[in-house]
Amino acid sequence: MGGSAVISRPELTPEEVDPRVDLGGIALRNPVLTASGTFGYGTEFGPFLDLRRIGGFVAKSLTLEPRFGNPPPRIAEAPSAMLNAISLENVGVDAFVREKLPALPEGVTVVASLFETEIDRYAEAAKRLSGAPRVAGLEVNASCPHVKSGGIEFGQDPAVLAQLIRAVRRATSAPLLVKLSPNVTHIAEMARVCEGEGADGLSLINAVQALEVDVERRRPVLANILGGLSGPAIRPIALRMVWQASRAVEIPICGIGGITSAEDAVKFLLCGASAVQVGTANYLDPGVAGDVADGLRAYAARHGFPRVQDLVGQLETGGR
Amino acid sequence: MAEPGASPAAGGEASRGMPLRVDAEVVAAECEGGANHRLRLAVPGWRGFLPGQFVMLSPGALAAVPRTDPLLPRPMAIYRAPGDRGEIEILFKRHGRGTALLAAARVGQKVGLVGPLGRGFPTADPGERAVLVAGGTGIASIYELGVRIRAAGGAVQVLLGARGVDDLMGEADFVSAGLPLRIATEDGSRGERGLVTDLLEQELRGDAATRVYACGPTPMMRRAAEIARGSGAPCLVSLENPMACGFGVCLGCAAPLREGGFALVCRDGPVFDAERIEWAGLP
Ligand SMILES: Cc1cc2nc3c(=O)[nH]c(=O)nc-3n(C[C@H](O)[C@H](O)[C@H](O)COP(=O)(O)O)c2cc1C
Ligand code: FES
Repeated sequence: MGGSAVISRPELTPEEVDPRVDLGGIALRNPVLTASGTFGYGTEFGPFLDLRRIGGFVAKSLTLEPRFGNPPPRIAEAPSAMLNAISLENVGVDAFVREKLPALPEGVTVVASLFETEIDRYAEAAKRLSGAPRVAGLEVNASCPHVKSGGIEFGQDPAVLAQLIRAVRRATSAPLLVKLSPNVTHIAEMARVCEGEGADGLSLINAVQALEVDVERRRPVLANILGGLSGPAIRPIALRMVWQASRAVEIPICGIGGITSAEDAVKFLLCGASAVQVGTANYLDPGVAGDVADGLRAYAARHGFPRVQDLVGQLETGGR
Repeated sequence: MAEPGASPAAGGEASRGMPLRVDAEVVAAECEGGANHRLRLAVPGWRGFLPGQFVMLSPGALAAVPRTDPLLPRPMAIYRAPGDRGEIEILFKRHGRGTALLAAARVGQKVGLVGPLGRGFPTADPGERAVLVAGGTGIASIYELGVRIRAAGGAVQVLLGARGVDDLMGEADFVSAGLPLRIATEDGSRGERGLVTDLLEQELRGDAATRVYACGPTPMMRRAAEIARGSGAPCLVSLENPMACGFGVCLGCAAPLREGGFALVCRDGPVFDAERIEWAGLP
């Protein structure tokens, strides 16, 4: 390698491009999923998007029991971004399996996300969810405060993260993705820990810890004080982390952070992601994930890649 | 206690037609003095709405909006749908980046629209007596309600409040619709000087048979709810919490309930029985 000229390939039609991808044992019809917490339980999008146009969706993170979230205000805007402090609000594993899954149309790929406050509860949630029909895989949300570590996130301490993934891995044979917290110094280390404990893939990044201030009232804008930053503002951070993680591990990566268009998704693939998740953009336009999926295939065609997967890791860095 | 993630019936009827996700075309755009603006939008596929429902608007065609500053679309009450020909009107105030961009939209331009969303006001009882009290942008949520209650044979009194005359929206429309109207402004520049809730107190005077409908700033709605309770009158409020999505997936618009837990304003409301709301927990 080392040349600066990008190889030009004969253009294809989108139909000639194979969009399929295997994400750690989850067969996807295309690499575009939607991110946990931004897509509800899937059914909410029925009026806006044929869910079969996208690779699949990651449902709102579930706990063993139903939980309420934080008091309002829970959300705020920042330039090119929003902050949220929803906390653990969800319907619980059982209601998800009993009511939400059966309400989905056929042919929709569902990844169940889970979080808890203790390791054995994570493992129990993983066990119950992986037995459910229609769950194609699990995503462990490691951005949850660990009560026993004094509230730091599971995903912020490599030793705690290792224990968590080991326990969940023992509890399930389903395809297992780990969603990494960006609030760490060495993302590559966290990626290696998960790979070492048997994770089948990684999803990154979760929202970036942030604070916004109301100057007139001299108060934080969120009742929780701190929130998670998401949206286009975090995309370059996410790309950097995906690039670093992809060079550290062999398992596939699902890139997340500020994706609003097919071009944004292409960036993640070039940086080493095999698939992507669209998050906050679903709020702005509930049909956008379908357009990202179509646009990704069109991009591959325009640039002569016969499989969308051929784009993965094709970032030209001059050998560095 | 509300179930987390459940949909408590908010007094809405079978209220939800399928919402649309479309680019609407601006067919009229007017500045009505002060910060007040009116947009008329031609919405492809529009199938009507219930008073109290809203839309999420983005300044530009959905695929083309630069999602920078602001990032999020803006919830806007559907003011009315003149002539039943797939056009809707939005009344709003320019008070930040999002509304400034909408205010700058010109005829022929596209506006991204998702809606109608939320549950509307419940259908009026035939012959009911209603007081509609609104302040600020809340005025946009009650015009169509007043028109429909009257069309169903009810008696309507409308009370509008504003800081001053420049702040008042839609007055001429209420007048030409023949809806009995009283106005209160804080500076006395129009109607009576004082708060619109003072007018409500005068109108209600212990009357438990009148239904109160309120929409506006939280302190106004909270006060209206207190006055209604004092009279033994039922009171419905339409909340205006900040929203990111508008259709129940971000969980950002939560309103605390007296029974415990939260309701989602976008999905379970925005119309609620005032007695269900834990007012002290609303920012
Ligand atoms: C309101 C909100 C709620 C979220 N809830 C969850 C959640 O329950 N579980 C999770 O793993 N990530 C959650 N996320 C993080 C997103 O899945 C995603 O990782 C993050 O928003 C970055 O992607 P984006 O910039 O495309 O939104 C949430 C994000 C937002 C904005
Ligand atoms: S605005 Fe997103 S849930 Fe209500």
